[in-house]
Amino acid sequence: MNRSILVCCGTGCIANGSLAVADALRVALAGTDVAVEATGETEVKETGCNGFCENGPILRVMPDDISYYKVKPEDAADIAASIGAEPLERLLYRDDNDKPVLRQADNPFYAPQHKIVLRNIGQIDPQSIADYTDCGGYRALERALQMTPEAIISEVEASGLRGRGGAGYPTGSKWRAAMQYGEYPKYVICNGDEGDPGAFMDRSTLEGDPHCVLEGMAICALAIGAQEGFLYIRDEYELALKHVTKAIRDAEEAGILGDSIMGSGKKLRLAAVRGGGAFVCGESTALMASIEGRVGEPRAKYVRSAQRGLWDKPTVLNNVETFANIPVIIGGGGENFALLGTDSSKGTKVFALVGKVKRTGLVEVPMGVTLRRLIFDIGGGIVGDRPFKAVQTGGPSGGCIPEKLLDLPVDFDTLTDYGAMMGSGGMIVMDDRSCMVEVARYYTNFLAEESCGKCAPCREGLRQMLSILTGICEGRGLPGDLEALEEICALLIDSSLCALGKTAANPVLTTIEHFRDEYNAHILEKRCPGGVCRELTGSKKDGTGVTSSKAGKGDLRV
Amino acid sequence: MRIIAGEEINALLNTYPRNAMYTLAVMQDMQRQFGYVPREGLDALSGHLERPLSELYAIATFYKALSLTPRGKHIIKVCDGTVCHIRAGTNVLDGIYRALGIGPGEMTDDGEFSLELVNCLGACALAPVMVVDGTYYGKIAPESLHEVFDAIRAEGVID
Amino acid sequence: MIVTIDGKEVSCERGEYLLDIATRAGIRIASLCHHEGLQGQGCCRLCTVEVETGRGDTGRGEGAQSGSFSDKKPRREIVAACIYPVEAECVVYTDSERVRRNRGILLALLRASAPASEEIAELCREFGAPDGARYEVQSGDGKCILCGLCAKACQTLGTGAISSVGRGTAKKISTPYDEPATVCVGCGSCAAVCPTGAIEVAEDGDERTIWNKTLTLTRCSRCGAVTGTAFEHYRASVHAGTEPPDLCPDCRRKAMTDTMAKTFGV
Repeated sequence: MNRSILVCCGTGCIANGSLAVADALRVALAGTDVAVEATGETEVKETGCNGFCENGPILRVMPDDISYYKVKPEDAADIAASIGAEPLERLLYRDDNDKPVLRQADNPFYAPQHKIVLRNIGQIDPQSIADYTDCGGYRALERALQMTPEAIISEVEASGLRGRGGAGYPTGSKWRAAMQYGEYPKYVICNGDEGDPGAFMDRSTLEGDPHCVLEGMAICALAIGAQEGFLYIRDEYELALKHVTKAIRDAEEAGILGDSIMGSGKKLRLAAVRGGGAFVCGESTALMASIEGRVGEPRAKYVRSAQRGLWDKPTVLNNVETFANIPVIIGGGGENFALLGTDSSKGTKVFALVGKVKRTGLVEVPMGVTLRRLIFDIGGGIVGDRPFKAVQTGGPSGGCIPEKLLDLPVDFDTLTDYGAMMGSGGMIVMDDRSCMVEVARYYTNFLAEESCGKCAPCREGLRQMLSILTGICEGRGLPGDLEALEEICALLIDSSLCALGKTAANPVLTTIEHFRDEYNAHILEKRCPGGVCRELTGSKKDGTGVTSSKAGKGDLRV
Repeated sequence: MRIIAGEEINALLNTYPRNAMYTLAVMQDMQRQFGYVPREGLDALSGHLERPLSELYAIATFYKALSLTPRGKHIIKVCDGTVCHIRAGTNVLDGIYRALGIGPGEMTDDGEFSLELVNCLGACALAPVMVVDGTYYGKIAPESLHEVFDAIRAEGVID
Repeated sequence: MIVTIDGKEVSCERGEYLLDIATRAGIRIASLCHHEGLQGQGCCRLCTVEVETGRGDTGRGEGAQSGSFSDKKPRREIVAACIYPVEAECVVYTDSERVRRNRGILLALLRASAPASEEIAELCREFGAPDGARYEVQSGDGKCILCGLCAKACQTLGTGAISSVGRGTAKKISTPYDEPATVCVGCGSCAAVCPTGAIEVAEDGDERTIWNKTLTLTRCSRCGAVTGTAFEHYRASVHAGTEPPDLCPDCRRKAMTDTMAKTFGV
């Protein structure tokens, strides 16, 4: 029996030394020629991110389906010797009852997951187009070539797919709008400028399965009549850039993309564009300004991008995860896709479950799963079994959700009703040693630096909010501060130019709503219940003065 | 500080068509090649694209990936994502200050190291995270930073 | 098409900007970054008004952040009048409770950022802005509210000497590297469009100093009024092939009238 050892080479596992593990395995396997007759060939394959980064380097022996965690190069000889024999128990994952787990599907982190977007990641070599086509890749594009644009869009509409970048705009409607404008050229853009702190599903997708994103974009291009497209990718995501660039080249060489998509005569040129390091460029109109070679400032969206987008031409811009869903929808049918999820939010969502939770990593589950299931079943609860305090969802545009709301289903609309948002899927778990005022100050500081500074409410509002919040964290809070914050927040929501400003109030408003006691402890008693704010805790840290260079950043560790 | 020859800049400019859409890409290439976006580079780009210098300066100061001043031989990027933050990102800064005497945005006197505070690198499971010359260091113990920097110093420039 | 603004019915063309419609009807909507010749800034947000749409139309939000697109009920939203194109009949409130509250906070924020601006102080008085006691007032003699009109004017005129620099709360308007801009012709258009008088133009004898650059002034040979700077006329002559003017516009007109009078013997 021929085998492959899948070595996870996502950014997390590489940081943990997975490349050295892969090399050591190749050397170790080369030394076991004698056994080949009995066990067959064993190939070492470098794959994308398995999502369980904390336990990396991760490897998986297939088809035996044995997963090993925290593997070191020194383990290579033992692993090579174990092929076709007894599994190495010491490298297996141990579940909550300390029972060793052999198969990935039995791992409590993976068991409840339902993978659509991450379907291939960890199974294929992202740098091999053959690996992608072997598991059904580009078959949906082939199918789309036989369909009319109308039929493609109807299928996407039937799926109920909504944009995964955060706003949740119906993808089918967006495509239909762009299709209807008769102005050319048209453009298709993939937003890979993942800027929410704590979210990394787009990076993992681009790194681990770049072709599925290209396929989704190509189907979109056929539907709206675009011949050119761009993938705007964060500059920091070097591996993602490398894999995407190679994938585009390989797909063009294979005749799948380029001057004649699969021999159809239809053309699609794709190019990767490096982002410049600006959170606001995750906003679609700012992103387009950036591609055009201008400062990444948003414009008002009274006229939509589907009509006047990149270079004022009809443009569809979707997020990485949105495009990754498209091949599944076209390949398997929109109605099948719509079987998963809730009434208003179909399909799955990938979450980055991070922070003070036992099992952290990327998790893909059907929409509508409760926060409690995510954090306590999949995530295994809080590190050290400390009390849960809050989960921050949706990054700087989202909010903090307290324990009493943990049974809320996670989808596009429910969290929004509670002032937070699902957003792009970042989910940061905090325990009792986190300070919610400092968390609000952290996000406000982030936004004050990342705002483009164009419109006055966002720029001046965030400046004053940061000043007030910093005062509260440093023991200079006054009665009336919360009302002053709420007034500015109301202005931001109403009057800001773009979504960054309109949602910038969420971290502050949700923490005031759910953790008012904590604010009051800071303001009235000059006390930080989380034991985080330096000026309010008894134990003063050494005064190196380093942290003061960033607007009086508190120290969140105890 | 090394002298940047006009030919180097021209060679770089000529790899791109004269189109405004490559403005950011050219600046990023300069950043990679020279460690920063030199003034001579912006001047030359202004001529190449026939765009006013002020427009390019606006772009160069807007995007965080670009620096207008020379940086150290080794670039230390400390992640300031939420998870690194709540897992004691600032202790890493304190540790670096103790080891190298620099804060965010500063360079050591010998020009060896520059320190930058960057947005979430998406390696949250390894928090707190630091990246030096492209190599990730996860779950940093601030007290071990001395050894890391000594080793990097000994190895010289990693290209 | 009819738009109802503060109870008054005003007719307009589809796609016309709301601020223009109101101005034509004699309804005041205060604004700072709006300038007739330099449309589309939309960044001071002082002209935000409340618009009720959706009586048959779907309503369009600027941020597209709201997740629910199913409700077709009439809805009220806050829009920036200067860049809001009226696409359907709607009802506009320029002084509703919500507009007043937002405008007050916005002006108080601008005052904290540009404490030396008399224009902002006057607007604060006019609209009863709250005291903003908890706001941190920027030190110094700041008057700039970063509306960007100056940079846009400079760029539109083809000079491009100034631009926005940096981003977020650190954003400012300046010349590259904060140095006297080599390309600045000293025309003073930036100062002319500035709504808060934030750009200093100093004239002393035959010199004008602006953006830390000193330029030689040219004067009308008849009345001695300033006609511009020598550099400005030099640049214009290079680009457009025009001759430097000898007379100021007033004297030129007079000279023309004199010539006509002589020619036709009027």
